Amino acid sequence: MSDLLLTSGLQYAGYVVEAIICLLLIWQGRWRRLRVLCLYVASLFLLDGVARSASLSFFGQRSIQYYYFYWVTDVALALGAFLLVCGFFRRAFSQDEKRWSFVRLSLVAVFVIVLGVSALSLTRHYANLYTLFMIEFSQNLYFSCLVLNTFLYVMIQQLEIEDDELGLLVCGLGVQFAGEAAGLALVHITVGQTFATNLFGFLNPVCTLGMLFIWIYAIGKTPQTVPVRSKLGNKARLVEAVAD
Amino acid sequence: MFMAALILMISTGLFFFYLQALCQKILRRQFTQEFSQSIVNANRLEFPSIRKAIEDLGATVEYPRLALTLKCDFLALTYLLKNAANVNQRYSYEERLLILYFKVVFVAMVSRHLLKLREAPAALKLTAILEYFANVVGERVNTVRFGNLTASDYLLNL
Repeated sequence: MSDLLLTSGLQYAGYVVEAIICLLLIWQGRWRRLRVLCLYVASLFLLDGVARSASLSFFGQRSIQYYYFYWVTDVALALGAFLLVCGFFRRAFSQDEKRWSFVRLSLVAVFVIVLGVSALSLTRHYANLYTLFMIEFSQNLYFSCLVLNTFLYVMIQQLEIEDDELGLLVCGLGVQFAGEAAGLALVHITVGQTFATNLFGFLNPVCTLGMLFIWIYAIGKTPQTVPVRSKLGNKARLVEAVAD
Repeated sequence: MFMAALILMISTGLFFFYLQALCQKILRRQFTQEFSQSIVNANRLEFPSIRKAIEDLGATVEYPRLALTLKCDFLALTYLLKNAANVNQRYSYEERLLILYFKVVFVAMVSRHLLKLREAPAALKLTAILEYFANVVGERVNTVRFGNLTASDYLLNL
């Protein structure tokens, strides 16, 4: 019971932070520069936060409709994540068209390979083709996003691309992908034991929250001056300063 | 099963790699000036001398002294972070993350010493964290005293 409460609390906190990020991006006018990020967070909020919750309350947890809706939205979110990684690559190579044309081709190739590998797995399981393909495809796509994201991070370091904001955004995405992939792999290894399933249920929203907080830090990161005001009057402060 | 185990290992490694990268990104923050020196002098902190010894001279600092010095400086600086010119009297999220990072790196340094490996790289990381803390404290103290004014502006505005 307490586990469920904690997981739900973390999930709802995640939805609130997603909404805050969208508002922050719009309010600061950064959504133009970070268009892909803004779209991804908005889709995360609308699909995961609003649409899934609505579908859950409308159809119920054990209904086939909710099951299908969940996996369709999961594929949509995986595609969104892939596009986000592509957007980050585009930003990293915005000054280097030659490299970008090569990277663009590679990204398309990765997508086609993931699609092919997922379709190949269907040959072994003819029953329940539709959902199996969606599950396989979204998991493969998430893992390839993790690999691509890491590759991008390494390239940013190697090519010494001076873009701290992009570096932090990539770190945030990496935390989310890595945490989720580790949780899924653990569930797979332990064949869905209660401990692993509970851990995954807890790890997933924690990683999402971690990613969102890192993104907020990246977006709001400006040279900070700490707004601390002394309670002392001007003269008292001068006396203190002179005494020092 | 083998693939899942491989993915688990890689993903866990990458998870910690990204957390470390995040901490390093925070530590790379540029301050408007070198605030740490005044804090180091005022509180007689020893981490700059340790870093100098490791970086410049390549000298091996005696391990018990190294560990004790870093620990003492850490305690002093975390106390200052929380209490010096901090109206809220609590750490920010990034400070909390860096405190945790310091503790992890400290454990790594102790482990390296026990395994008879070189502890200097870990010690350098620890001094970088301490320098960041000293800069933050210095910046806060500076902001409280003069706001955005220079000393002469401040006197003229009294």
